[in-house]
Amino acid sequence: MPKCTIDGREVEFSAGENLLEVARKVGVEVPYFCYHPGLTVVAQCRMCAVEIEKFPKLQTACSTPAGDGMIVHTRSEKAKANQKSIMEFLLINHPLDCPVCDKSGECDLQDNSYRYGDSYTRSTEERRTYIDLDMGPVIKKNMNRCIHCTRCIRFGAEVAGVREMVAIQRGNSTEISTIDGRPLETDYAGNYADICPTGSLTLKDFRFKKRAWMLKKTATVCEGCSRGCNMEIQQDGGSVYRCIPRKNMEINQYWMCDEGRFNYQYLMDPTRIVKPRIEGVNTTWSDAIGRLKATLSGKKATILVGTDLTVEELKLIQEMSASMLPGSTIAHIGTNGVSTTSDDGAEDQLLKRKSKTSNLHGAEKLGIAPYKSMASGSEAVLIFRGGKAELPALTGIKKYGVGVFTESEAQGFEVVLPSTSFAEKDGTIVNFQGKEQRLKRAINPMGQSKQIGEIFMLWKNSSSALRAEATGVA
Amino acid sequence: MLVKRDLKPLAHIYLIEIIKGLAITMKNMLFARNVTIQYPEERRNYSERFRGMHYIKATNGVENCTACMLCPTVCPAECIHIEAGERPDKEKYPVKFEIDVLRCCFCGMCEEACPKDAIKLSTIYEMSQSKRTVFSKDYLLEQRGHK
Repeated sequence: MPKCTIDGREVEFSAGENLLEVARKVGVEVPYFCYHPGLTVVAQCRMCAVEIEKFPKLQTACSTPAGDGMIVHTRSEKAKANQKSIMEFLLINHPLDCPVCDKSGECDLQDNSYRYGDSYTRSTEERRTYIDLDMGPVIKKNMNRCIHCTRCIRFGAEVAGVREMVAIQRGNSTEISTIDGRPLETDYAGNYADICPTGSLTLKDFRFKKRAWMLKKTATVCEGCSRGCNMEIQQDGGSVYRCIPRKNMEINQYWMCDEGRFNYQYLMDPTRIVKPRIEGVNTTWSDAIGRLKATLSGKKATILVGTDLTVEELKLIQEMSASMLPGSTIAHIGTNGVSTTSDDGAEDQLLKRKSKTSNLHGAEKLGIAPYKSMASGSEAVLIFRGGKAELPALTGIKKYGVGVFTESEAQGFEVVLPSTSFAEKDGTIVNFQGKEQRLKRAINPMGQSKQIGEIFMLWKNSSSALRAEATGVA
Repeated sequence: MLVKRDLKPLAHIYLIEIIKGLAITMKNMLFARNVTIQYPEERRNYSERFRGMHYIKATNGVENCTACMLCPTVCPAECIHIEAGERPDKEKYPVKFEIDVLRCCFCGMCEEACPKDAIKLSTIYEMSQSKRTVFSKDYLLEQRGHK
């Protein structure tokens, strides 16, 4: 393998790798703004310029492929002077409204300014200002903060497949905007806020809700569709504030769709049922379990399991229902029209899949059949659901729900036992490629919700069951 | 470690030392100036830098605070609670700004962290309440006892 030396450290690289990535391998951090590993290289911020021996001028590390025997200095006097002047240059027009800006705390411009810039400004001139047009429901634009890295333009054209962001005017009066000021069309608009190195493009959903440094982060997997994009849930005090994608080159690369990004909102839905209910009236766990047992035991039931449950939960339901509700049939529900994995195709050219539940492939692996119609002789329906599976229209039959339901969804249910959604439990889900991924618990179950395992435990061990078992033994 | 002191025979009765000590006590009692003051009638002058009750500074009737959340971040007692919002004349302003003064330790770090010179500690030190009170934004905006 060819070798080069970066800041005195020898490093091996494969042909074609750029200096920025090679430097990162040995822990040398080269500051940058416009470079993004998922986008083409334009080398336009000039922040990553480094000194290479035998080269007359500084070279941008992002656009220079590493060469055998290259000797690179990223913190030489010349490179440092360049970083300092680029920072000064970028901050000439930056409003420095960090106290107001949602990006502060996770802002590349802020970080690099602290590390490489000067702590004072020489400019006394007025800063340029723009009037910002609305950019649709996802993104809030603030052009004053922009540093023209063009990451958003490249993201739209190269990843999202829509050329919607453009740079108009030139030089100092460059403005990044959508064509004709139209709102954003892409379903991946949330990524604009992620890749923006400043606070120019921020999420409307997250606007002023919390500061970035107050959020606690949990690495988990999105449950919006069968792709299972890797993401991070950011929460504080038990309520989720936003989800952002994590890098996984085999599944979602660096991106995430808006549907998955804002999927967390149903967790905090005010109409979500978080207390056990009997016929629409809140009650206690023991009463609800007692009612469930009194009206369900000994009967033949159809058990519908949402494909938004984890593999562990599905297996548990399979095993427990065989012993506790013998003679009942299990079928899975998920997205209407996508009942088997062969129906599950790509919805667009990037990430979205047709199955809008995360674990269709896992359910199929466990041998659970899709729900078509009620099994003959069924006297009741027991629905286990993680919150996303679509409920089939069921009439004229007693319905029992375990899982995440809103008040309108649980209309006419005999008993509802609140259980946990994807952010409130650990478990495994299988994506469309057959990859098993772990869901991590980010927040405590809302209200009185319990895990499905706990519910089975209550069901099995509640007092009457214990009594029955005792008499059986005697 | 226990050290055995080699005292002289006269020192063993301590009497001389007791008389010396009493002399100092008597001197202070009879001739020194009083340290205490008659509080509600008499008041002490405190330094301008005294850290007392908080207030939010306003400029032209608009609060300086932009709800940047640096004061709740730096607050060691976690007594500041802010909720941010937007209104036409101000991009970001505190919809709620509450201080639980009973939790506050008057360290003044909020004042130090504030980039907008909004939260300040006044010289007011009389804060006794008949019940536990969380001071709201309206109360804090009234500029009493400011420096």
